Amino acid sequence: MKRVAVLFGGVSVEHEISVISALQAIGAIDTTQFTVIPVYIAQSGRWYVGDRLLDKAMYKELPQALEMLQEVTLLPFPGTNGLTTRAKSGFLSRWTGKDETIPVDLFFPIFHGQYGEDGCIQGLLELAQVPYVGSDVTASSIAMNKYLCKLAAKAIGIPTLPGVLLGRAEIRKDLSRARKQIFDAGLTFPLFVKPCHLGSSIGVSRATDEAALDAALVQVCRFDTHALVEPCVTKIMEINVSVRDGKEPAVSVVEIPVASDGVLSYEDKYLRSGGSKGKAAAASEGMASLTRVIDPQDLDPNYKTQVQESAYALFKALGSSGVGRFDFIVDLEKGQLFFNELNPIPGSLSFYLWEKCGPPVLFTELLTSIMDRALERYAVKRELEQSVGFKALAR
Amino acid sequence: MISFLIVTSTVALVMFGYRRMLRYLRYFQQEEYTAVRFHGWLRTNRAWDRRGSALLAAAFVLALFTPFALAAVTVGFVLLFIGEPDPRKAGKIRLNMTQRATKIFQLALGLFASFVALFTVALRHDIPLLLLLLVLAVQAIPHFLLLANLLLSPFERRLQRKFLNEAKEIFRRHDPFTIGITGSYGKTSSKAALGHVLSATVGPTFCPPKSINTPMGITREIRERYRAEQRYAVIEMGAYGPGSIKRLCDLTPPDAAIITIIGIAHLERYKTAETVYQAKSELPQALPAEGLLICNGDDDGARRMATEFAKETTLLYGFDTSKGHLDCIGRNLTFDAAGSRCEIEWKGAKYELRVKHLGRPAVSNLLGVFTMACALGADPTIAIASMKNLDQVDNRLVLVDEGGVLWLKDAYNSNPVGFEAALEMLRVLEAPRKILITPGMVELGHEQELQNERMGKLAADSCSTVIVVGETNRAALERGLRAGGLPEESIVAIPSRDEAFARLRELLRPGDLVLVENDLPDLYEHKESF
Repeated sequence: MKRVAVLFGGVSVEHEISVISALQAIGAIDTTQFTVIPVYIAQSGRWYVGDRLLDKAMYKELPQALEMLQEVTLLPFPGTNGLTTRAKSGFLSRWTGKDETIPVDLFFPIFHGQYGEDGCIQGLLELAQVPYVGSDVTASSIAMNKYLCKLAAKAIGIPTLPGVLLGRAEIRKDLSRARKQIFDAGLTFPLFVKPCHLGSSIGVSRATDEAALDAALVQVCRFDTHALVEPCVTKIMEINVSVRDGKEPAVSVVEIPVASDGVLSYEDKYLRSGGSKGKAAAASEGMASLTRVIDPQDLDPNYKTQVQESAYALFKALGSSGVGRFDFIVDLEKGQLFFNELNPIPGSLSFYLWEKCGPPVLFTELLTSIMDRALERYAVKRELEQSVGFKALAR
Repeated sequence: MISFLIVTSTVALVMFGYRRMLRYLRYFQQEEYTAVRFHGWLRTNRAWDRRGSALLAAAFVLALFTPFALAAVTVGFVLLFIGEPDPRKAGKIRLNMTQRATKIFQLALGLFASFVALFTVALRHDIPLLLLLLVLAVQAIPHFLLLANLLLSPFERRLQRKFLNEAKEIFRRHDPFTIGITGSYGKTSSKAALGHVLSATVGPTFCPPKSINTPMGITREIRERYRAEQRYAVIEMGAYGPGSIKRLCDLTPPDAAIITIIGIAHLERYKTAETVYQAKSELPQALPAEGLLICNGDDDGARRMATEFAKETTLLYGFDTSKGHLDCIGRNLTFDAAGSRCEIEWKGAKYELRVKHLGRPAVSNLLGVFTMACALGADPTIAIASMKNLDQVDNRLVLVDEGGVLWLKDAYNSNPVGFEAALEMLRVLEAPRKILITPGMVELGHEQELQNERMGKLAADSCSTVIVVGETNRAALERGLRAGGLPEESIVAIPSRDEAFARLRELLRPGDLVLVENDLPDLYEHKESF
């Protein structure tokens, strides 16, 4: 039995979605091979373990409920063999409290957004020299920087929409100059304004006039240091595909998410009800509950092939790992396909796409395969020679 | 056997006391641990124990015949214990087990348990008398809370003083540019909006959430959330009586101030409008001579303050230029379902403001916010753009579409200015049928009847049906409605909130526009049984 610590929550606007995705995954992990240790990173950034984390109702009683959990930490150096418990502060604990180790064989970060999906937590796992599921620091951080990710895609010949990157300071210094930069780059209304580093749709808005553009730019500055402005494709179709790691990366079937107004908003992704289920049901199922068409039979096969090939190529080029979701858009008026963005840890881990592959890859199997792959990658990494020691100073 | 039953019934009673005390603590907390107010609540809601006492009384009768009545006491209190709801998990305003609440609770429960134990030991040979005396103990449960609070108060005061001094020291050391906001209405929304706009323009701003406006509330926020890079601070200053703003200004000395409206809110506490004015004027008085004072020029009280306590920079904002000079003028204010739109004139330039907020008072507050931000050096275009992103505060004149019915929710504590603005929205928004549901306004002292009548009269023009909830303001509202010419069959009076909403649901048809004005919190409306 391997002990896998599933890390989730985190200091991110997508905290709750991470909880949903993680609980889904924990429910599907093969318990004959793995023992799961749920590790919750609270909004305060502190880490907790405890079986109560598996109970969705607990999250409604935060932060009080944290008192029933054990606080832990991962020390940033090799050889700790897992998580270290932190003594509770208080009179009694001074006598009884001792640091203990909770042994862990594999870490499985299931975060969305900042600090968890963008290479930060991966950096800590690297420092601790522990095996972990998913992309490494570089692949994660490039994926989560929408602008850099576009540049990477473009560099290997995948078409992307033009985009203008604007810094927070530039925007706040002079809105009219910021606007001018956008128009000088040849962009015209309607425009899309997005935070450059955030994964969800938070802070994303569509602007059809200058006042709305101003408001959108100022809004992004609340959440991010950079805004990415792109043309808004009005007659749009989105196509998503998932790629997973293996000896050779594998590509899933594609899906067409169906949005209410042409753009997936945070509400569409996580709050909109998919019918009679009601808001609550939809919200607690995250990405898996979105209205969508999976493996559409009437989709132009050219698009399908192009999407699958591009995703595969970009996954390899970035050195991604685990399971990622690549989002494309089709400008239906011009019949053109563009790469839009890459989610290194997609909502619900995109299991709903793998289930529909031929032959189907069930969620449990998907998880086992990416966890095994993480251990293989770790073994390779450990084989690499590390030269540590005193040379210059020892002379 | 009997002594065993004595032990079990005592334990069961204490278990029941534990749950019951939590329930009372919830209301004691809502009344801000004030003995007088908690007593008032107990009296008006007749919230004394019935179930426990009834059980003990029944057991007393039984005990006259057999001491085994104690078995019934045990079973009865265990059942009552199970039946008591947990106020930490249920209810509109839940019990929050803060450190203070925990301390009061533990001490009060300890006192209760020792009392019960003492009685039991002393009277173990006279069970009927014991049972009668235990009725007293059960009735005294809320008073044990008061006693515990009294015993803890010297320590609590010392702790509060320590925290207060720490907070003061934090502000003294970092010295953020502090803006105080006061007024009878609009403080909380102005504070939230100003915090938002300043953060988007001049820099990181400290802005306590919700309507935190007391020294201890602000102290806690400063100690727990103030960050050194926050060069600006926006503090809502609530006036609960003469001297309370002065105390806040002592904690967070203001460099600038916004005065929204000097109205007649909480007239019950103040008695006269002049005392309200005096209490609010403690804020401009606390500003240094070189400070920045921004007042609502449309409001006579605020305008008077601008003259009486003029500072080096004193600016007026508003819509109405007939009252005198304005530095920031709002013109051509219009409303539609998407929000409000107006033109702002500031320093010779014109800006187009478009916000989600509805109603003249909300836009007036934003004019104040805009003036303050610009006076502090914000780029007006960015200030305007950031206001467009502002979300409305829940339940303060918010328009929502629920299954084809449009709801104007103005459930938050109502006042004449807000009520009038809400009625204006009811008038300008298009709908085939317009319904008002309201219990009227409270806490207006001797003005209450007059103001409710006035609102009734105003409402008569713009409503097709009015549902008057409860008895408090029924007569005044109905008088006004009739005087305004609303036909008798369009006035529906219903005693309780739940019934009123049930009736409303029956009436509703798609396309209707409903104004929910002043939906009072459960402190007033919901009756719990004990």
